[in-house]
Amino acid sequence: MNAYLDLDALWRVLVAALAGGAGLVAVFSVALAGLAATRPTSEGGGGRPLGWVVAVTGFLVVAAGVVLGIWVMLAK
Amino acid sequence: MDSNTVLLGVVVATALAFDFTNGFHDTANAMATSIATGALRPKIAVALAAILNFLGAFLSLAVAATIATGIVEAGAITLTVVFAGLVGGLAWNLLTWYFGIPSSSSHALIGGVVGATLIAAGTSAVKGAGIVSKVLIPAVLAPLAAILVATIGTFLVYVITRKVPDGIRTRGFRIGQIGSASLVSLAHGTNDAQKTMGIITLALIANGTLGKDAGPPLWVIVCSASAIALGTYIGGWRIIRTLGKGLTEIETPQGFAAEGSSAAVIFASSHFGFPLSTTHVCAGSVIGSGLGKRLAEVRWHVAGQMATAWLLTLPAAAIVGAVAWKGADLIGGAGGVTVIFLLALLGGVGLYLASRRSTVNAANVNAEWTGRTPAPVKETVR
Repeated sequence: MNAYLDLDALWRVLVAALAGGAGLVAVFSVALAGLAATRPTSEGGGGRPLGWVVAVTGFLVVAAGVVLGIWVMLAK
Repeated sequence: MDSNTVLLGVVVATALAFDFTNGFHDTANAMATSIATGALRPKIAVALAAILNFLGAFLSLAVAATIATGIVEAGAITLTVVFAGLVGGLAWNLLTWYFGIPSSSSHALIGGVVGATLIAAGTSAVKGAGIVSKVLIPAVLAPLAAILVATIGTFLVYVITRKVPDGIRTRGFRIGQIGSASLVSLAHGTNDAQKTMGIITLALIANGTLGKDAGPPLWVIVCSASAIALGTYIGGWRIIRTLGKGLTEIETPQGFAAEGSSAAVIFASSHFGFPLSTTHVCAGSVIGSGLGKRLAEVRWHVAGQMATAWLLTLPAAAIVGAVAWKGADLIGGAGGVTVIFLLALLGGVGLYLASRRSTVNAANVNAEWTGRTPAPVKETVR
């Protein structure tokens, strides 16, 4: 079977794809949730400044992941 | 003009034509979900994809002058085999486009070359193990990997943002979706335009125009990049419709998760050298984005038709490739290749005319899914 299937490469692809495709997507969502938390709520509660930290950190992580992805692809 | 020059000219023209169909066949991969969710207006989406494909073609650093490496014996590849292979790939691309089915352009090309090689050099020149390991197994694994990643991604997206107000959510995911779709476009340009450059370079080397280890001349890079970008801009609307509306109804968060998954799987497979087809990955991601939100939102019969087409890609393109080679061989020389080229052209025009009877374009690509092609749009009177 191994002559036909490079299991090693397959595992790496799966792990990297999960980290990027599900992980970064989730981080982006967390950042959006952070952004939403900075807004005042309709019940009169104030916005939470911590949201900004979450949002900015999240977007930076995603941006770094994208740059890494492009770099890795072009380094071939 | 001697016959070698004619042969070379026809091969280059066929390669660029294939590149063009490669472009419009695969616009859907990057942009179908963005068009379906309204993140981008249809025309803007295809223009963005075209520009990124063009840029991507210039970004790739290494262009290998190889075709179907490890699948057929390198010695068996003559210019006529390459030509016949391209015709096989072209024919399959156009036929699947007519039926609005996303299918892998690389597999179509490989199929065409395998068919032409089989009839030109016999079974010994085709490596069965290569076909299994480089075509068949990846064709099964690519959509499965993408479905897994996109399902998890979509699930997480909905769980994490369930309390986020609609305004922020929609706007945020639209931007994210445009970004991830752009990545898919860029990756497509770097990978797929490269194949055509490789084929043309190979033809030039075989003709003695270029030295043995030469890279592609600038005009080859510019022509290949332009052909794929033009094809992308023209847009395979029939395929965009199937991928964006047919498989599942997509909301913005799903579109974002799907494109994110596609980009990640494509980047990872290109880096770790596991050959996955962009088309298979993107279709898998869209299915995953349907599964991740709520089970049973996927139209499995559409997915089934698509999977059937994927299974048929290799043999169907191989048959056309074999017939094209035999035809060119029977007539003989550059004349034979030219006749086949003209016949292929005729077939392409015929399919185009047939498609006009039920046009899918930027105006009706997002119409309610009732079957494959939407009700015709009324011509606006100017």
